[in-house]
Amino acid sequence: MSDASLVHQRLALMWDWLIAPLQYEFMVKALLVSGFVGVVCGVLSCYMTLKGWALMGDAVAHAVTPGVVLAYVFHVPLAVGAFVFGVGSVWLMGWIQKQTRLKEDVVIGLVFTGLFALGLVLISKTPSNVDFLHILFGNVLGIPTAAMVQTLVIGTLTLAVLLLLKNDLLLLCFDPTHARSIGINTTGLHYLLLTLLSLTIVVALQTVGVVLVVAMLITPGATAYLLTDRFDRMLLLAVGSGLVASGLGVYVSYYWDAATGGCIVLVQTLLFLLAMIWAPKHGLFRRVGRSG
Amino acid sequence: MPQTPSIALENITVTYHEKVALHGINITLPAGTIVGLVGMNGSGKSTLLKTIVGLITPTTGRVWIAGLPIQQAQKRGWVAYMPQSEQVDWQFPVSVQDVVMMGRYGSMNWLRIPRPIDRHIVEMSLRQVDMLPLKDRQIGELSGGQKKRTFLARVLAQQAHILLLDEPFNGVDVNTERAMIQLLMRLRDAGHTILVSSHDLSAISTVCDQIILINQTILAYGATSEVFTPENLNRTFGMPLPGMMS
Repeated sequence: MSDASLVHQRLALMWDWLIAPLQYEFMVKALLVSGFVGVVCGVLSCYMTLKGWALMGDAVAHAVTPGVVLAYVFHVPLAVGAFVFGVGSVWLMGWIQKQTRLKEDVVIGLVFTGLFALGLVLISKTPSNVDFLHILFGNVLGIPTAAMVQTLVIGTLTLAVLLLLKNDLLLLCFDPTHARSIGINTTGLHYLLLTLLSLTIVVALQTVGVVLVVAMLITPGATAYLLTDRFDRMLLLAVGSGLVASGLGVYVSYYWDAATGGCIVLVQTLLFLLAMIWAPKHGLFRRVGRSG
Repeated sequence: MPQTPSIALENITVTYHEKVALHGINITLPAGTIVGLVGMNGSGKSTLLKTIVGLITPTTGRVWIAGLPIQQAQKRGWVAYMPQSEQVDWQFPVSVQDVVMMGRYGSMNWLRIPRPIDRHIVEMSLRQVDMLPLKDRQIGELSGGQKKRTFLARVLAQQAHILLLDEPFNGVDVNTERAMIQLLMRLRDAGHTILVSSHDLSAISTVCDQIILINQTILAYGATSEVFTPENLNRTFGMPLPGMMS
């Protein structure tokens, strides 16, 4: 067999690998939703990385659990319950911090474990035909159409606000003092960013679940941050890596019959490791080369 | 601008957690002067500047900018403030030009999309501090003097009548210091009011028309030559500084 036909055969195999799963509607849906979630999270993750809000993201993600269960019990959209508890947890953290002399990370740890525990107890006491494990670990391969539409609507809204207020949010992360000195309402912006965080978590829950959502919220941003010194490029790279990780993760999950959320986050982590080792300016190779 | 802007501080007191940072500050600064704010670390210099620009709300008293309350002066973009460089995250993925453009945000609409006039002003400001060739550098790749020049360019880009500079000469090289002094004098001659804080007396005595000596409250205020007396400096710093008195 000639080299050319060997290459051709390989390409055909790869093409099959990509195309075959698309005959199933659930795979098309899963790819669409995961890719979209990857984009929204990619954009937000840039602000989370620059603001140092990893713990905050993890906390809000866990804190929405009881909201989702209660929303199910009272027949309101799950996103509403998640959003109320997301924003509520942020407010609660701020309030406790004002009343006590505890440090911020201690307050965050207290509030989110407390609310998550409440969520776990509620799950165990709620008779239901919905598998609440899907909230904890995501279930994008079995996502119902209503949930998909909800994800797309909330995600589009969040993405629009993030992009329209890009410069103000960037200034909030970089130099809130300057923002205040020119009359920008930084408290309002701060709570807006927290609201966008809660909404993004609601969006990402379907795909990766409460436990792994924080990876979607920081890993693409962290990867991009190592690759560039320009914010606009950082946004593009984060979106790109979020998209690639979601797509590849869904395929890997399909062929290995493994947890989808876990696969997506694993691919993200792999991309981060690649960036950490080979980044042109901030990578390990470059740094070793410079000091050696 | 309805009248020549100046700063009036009326019985300002600032307390943090029951600790007094400033008290009994009563002063009116004339327009078109460079005023030095001199005191030890912790004497309340930064607190006073932040109060004037509206970052800190005084516990008692009021700040007037050209006869208007500070919030209104802020909306009109009359006051520009340069923070100490220790407060900046130098790893942040922004370029010199991006930082200076942030000085234009106050006069842009809510989408903050730069207009041609904004780009023009940014370029002029960069040229004034001699940073135009470095406009695309990430800010962490700058020297101490270049960092100060960048933030000074941002203040210039705000095109405010009142400039508040917190420790602008701290950690800069001799050339930058000389260039900054010349620039400040040109701005003063163009009618700007400039308030400069420092704990370093050599640069400030060259550039300032007037001096405020401060330690929680105003110890002395007046023309530079009159205020810099051994007794006043002794009261401000708690010791005589013979080397500074040439």
